[in-house]
Amino acid sequence: MLIARAFDPDFLQRLDALTLGIKRARTIRTGRRTVGRVLGPGLEPEDFRDYSAGDDLRFLDWNTFARLEDLTVRTFRAERQVELTIMLDTSASMAVPESDDKFGLAVILGTALAYIAMGENDSVRLAAFGGSAEKSRWLTTPSYQRRESFFAFRQFVSGLKCQGDTQLSMAVADLLRTRHHPGIVVAISDFLVSPADYEDALTQLLTARHEVKVIHIVGDREYTGFYPPGAYRVRDCETGELREVVFGAQQSALCRQRIEEHSARLANFCERHGIVYSRAFGASNLDAIMRREFPRLGVIA
Amino acid sequence: MGFFSPDGLLLGFSVVALIAIYLRSRARPIINVSSLMLFEQLPAPVVKSRILKLDLLFWLELLALSAITLAAAGFYVAGRRPVGRHQLHALVFDLGAGMGALDGRVSRLEEARALARHLITSAPAGDEFTVIGYGLEANILAAPSRDPRPALAALDKLQAQAIAPRPSALRAALIDAHGAAAIDIFADRRPAEDVVSQTSPRGVVKLHQVGKPVDNVAIAGLDPGVPRSSGGHCVLRNFSSRPAQCQLELDLNGRQFDHTSLIIEPRAQAIVGFRPLTEGGLLHARIATHDALIMDNERFATAPSTAQANVLVLSPDPDARDDLARIAVAINPNFVVTALDPAQYKSSGAAKRRYALAILHDCNPSGINAAARLFVFPEPLLKGSHRTPVANVPGSVAAVELESRQDTGPLTTPTLLGPSRILSLPGWMDALATGAPLDGHDSFPVAAVGRQLDGRVGVLAFDVRDHLLLDPDRLDALVLTIDTLKQVTAPEDIKVVSTGSFVTISTFAPAKLISPDNSIRQLQPDQWGRVRFRPLEVGHYAIRGPNRATEVYANYYDVAESDLSSLAAPLDRKAVNHSLPPPHVEIFPRPVGLALIALAAFLVLAESAFITRRAIYWGTPHV
Repeated sequence: MLIARAFDPDFLQRLDALTLGIKRARTIRTGRRTVGRVLGPGLEPEDFRDYSAGDDLRFLDWNTFARLEDLTVRTFRAERQVELTIMLDTSASMAVPESDDKFGLAVILGTALAYIAMGENDSVRLAAFGGSAEKSRWLTTPSYQRRESFFAFRQFVSGLKCQGDTQLSMAVADLLRTRHHPGIVVAISDFLVSPADYEDALTQLLTARHEVKVIHIVGDREYTGFYPPGAYRVRDCETGELREVVFGAQQSALCRQRIEEHSARLANFCERHGIVYSRAFGASNLDAIMRREFPRLGVIA
Repeated sequence: MGFFSPDGLLLGFSVVALIAIYLRSRARPIINVSSLMLFEQLPAPVVKSRILKLDLLFWLELLALSAITLAAAGFYVAGRRPVGRHQLHALVFDLGAGMGALDGRVSRLEEARALARHLITSAPAGDEFTVIGYGLEANILAAPSRDPRPALAALDKLQAQAIAPRPSALRAALIDAHGAAAIDIFADRRPAEDVVSQTSPRGVVKLHQVGKPVDNVAIAGLDPGVPRSSGGHCVLRNFSSRPAQCQLELDLNGRQFDHTSLIIEPRAQAIVGFRPLTEGGLLHARIATHDALIMDNERFATAPSTAQANVLVLSPDPDARDDLARIAVAINPNFVVTALDPAQYKSSGAAKRRYALAILHDCNPSGINAAARLFVFPEPLLKGSHRTPVANVPGSVAAVELESRQDTGPLTTPTLLGPSRILSLPGWMDALATGAPLDGHDSFPVAAVGRQLDGRVGVLAFDVRDHLLLDPDRLDALVLTIDTLKQVTAPEDIKVVSTGSFVTISTFAPAKLISPDNSIRQLQPDQWGRVRFRPLEVGHYAIRGPNRATEVYANYYDVAESDLSSLAAPLDRKAVNHSLPPPHVEIFPRPVGLALIALAAFLVLAESAFITRRAIYWGTPHV
């Protein structure tokens, strides 16, 4: 199970040297976590200006006053923490096919990003979404900044059960309802919902000025269409809807074609809206996914 | 084949129900998928799903269900087994002399014993065994028991006897084994078929023929002759189909006086003569060379004493007197015979002498001083007579036929003897021959011997007048007379007998019997003071009483039993079994439920393995 591996010390050790980059800070040196030239409380001096009534007397430059007898106020560059929200899809489809361990793949990728981000004391939280149209499920952890708090996520992910529908739009609505400052939102899901649903959700995040990253989870069997030949009835694990199919080599090719189309459409949407799209196809390809997709997600070695 | 309960067949309908469930479950397996969206492009099935899919799984499950159903219905097959759940095995052993023959180093009895031991140890637990031996008669040596130890102990005690087994003994043994499910006869020669068939055994009779043809030379006879008068001879017989080299040793009273080496032609006999013995006593002949059967390799005979003895012959008929005197002298030339008319006996000086033998024909004068007396045609008890009759003579017959002799059995042709007394023997006398009147059927003794405190007594019931004893057409009368005379005049302290015959010794007190194997047995006398035993071994028996000691020497020879080469090739066992009554078996239901359940379990396991293999290959529980 990949969930257990997510908190394995050996695995985490591989992540120690990685840093999660931020698009808006690309111009500054690596590791700087300031966001824009916003004045405010901080440690890095920005400029000097004449005192005006109402300024905080704590920022008066007493040395300048003693030498020039002018009241001068020192200004600082405001430091804003990057808030990283990792949304994990806990709908029933993430647990099917069971052998694919899609949810485990989602968890290990999400926690890996969280661990990397916490290396720079970024504020990180995990969120799980799912449920039904009538009652959506939106669960979040507190925000943690230090890696010492990383293992607090273990209890959270261990208690997650994959059930219900993929209520991505409702989850985004819940997220935006509680967040005011823009941050980084990583959505990890199989996106087995209608395109309109995920397009609406991602558009809402962009509108709220979040930097959005998408990790598309697909299982090995789903991608290969490798089902035992014969006549079967397939049942949608979220809706319970049944359909009769006959599996064979030709049908497997059609399944692969369908998943490629679904993935291409999602990737196309993300590209058009400046969303980072990352493919995570197959839990067995974890190492390849991390090697190939983490740079795409802004993870810098 | 069948079912213990026909109602169990109703369970067969469960097969139908189970197959329906099975087909339903297998009609269309359901696969949970993450979203039907992924299968939108798959075309609808163009082929109707098959309700019945005759693949390997179907047949495996059908067979498994059928096996379980049949097991629940109590399916059985017809089995056959010998009568009796815990079978009684009767192990019947021939204990004749032939079984003591050596085939190499192992006797035939040892071979039979090993076969029987294997039968006992390899039999299923719970089977019973009984051990029966037969020779002159049948004896149950180990009673039926589920404990094999008594049977094994009885096997160890089996010993070949120096006798020829009697068919009647085998018949008695088979009767004793009548209730056995299996009767195993261990013998060195095939028993007569009628013996087996007449007893109608219920069980399976199987003959275990042991032994193979071997060479044997036997002493068929030994005649000591007359000491200092005529030579004796020893008759040797070679039973093998090739010449046999033989060394014969002769000793008299323990001293060897002759040693002869000779080669005997195949299946022939040789007569080895020897010079007249120097004295009377015990003559012993022995074959020194080795052969298969040692029981017939030695023989004993007694030679009459060379000392003179007086014999009194009394008869009112001169011819009879003369005939009896001649016979007495012929038996022992050292007899000095005094022949008188009974009427003259009292007045002659003969009445004052002591006689070794008194032959009294048709008379019984008192006052005769004799160590042994032979009454010939004894007179009946007359009214007013004070003489004690030797035997009760209730009457006479005009003619009697000699029918049977004790030693040889019934005569093939009865011998007409003439007038005879009807004897009613006292208990202390033993009949040597029996006869029957011409006009009657009731037989009575015509010759007998016995012993009283004052000496031996013999009786010949028939009259010897008209030269009966010299009639060549009625030699049996002469032979019977000579035998009776020999028994009456035989030394009291030494006897030569045939094995298997009853030996009677008058001891008038309890006596010890010391057998050739040095075993000692206590013998109790009967009301007439006689002890009896039957020697079954060749050799010397000693009877030790408080007042006297008697030596008994037992000889064995039987022309059929000593012929160890006549077995030829081993008998065809199939033929033997075919001739025997068919085995009694019963048909019983043999449950096969356990086997059916085992088969079902195996089939389910095979199906599980097949399913697991497919599941592993496809990585899914739906196969």
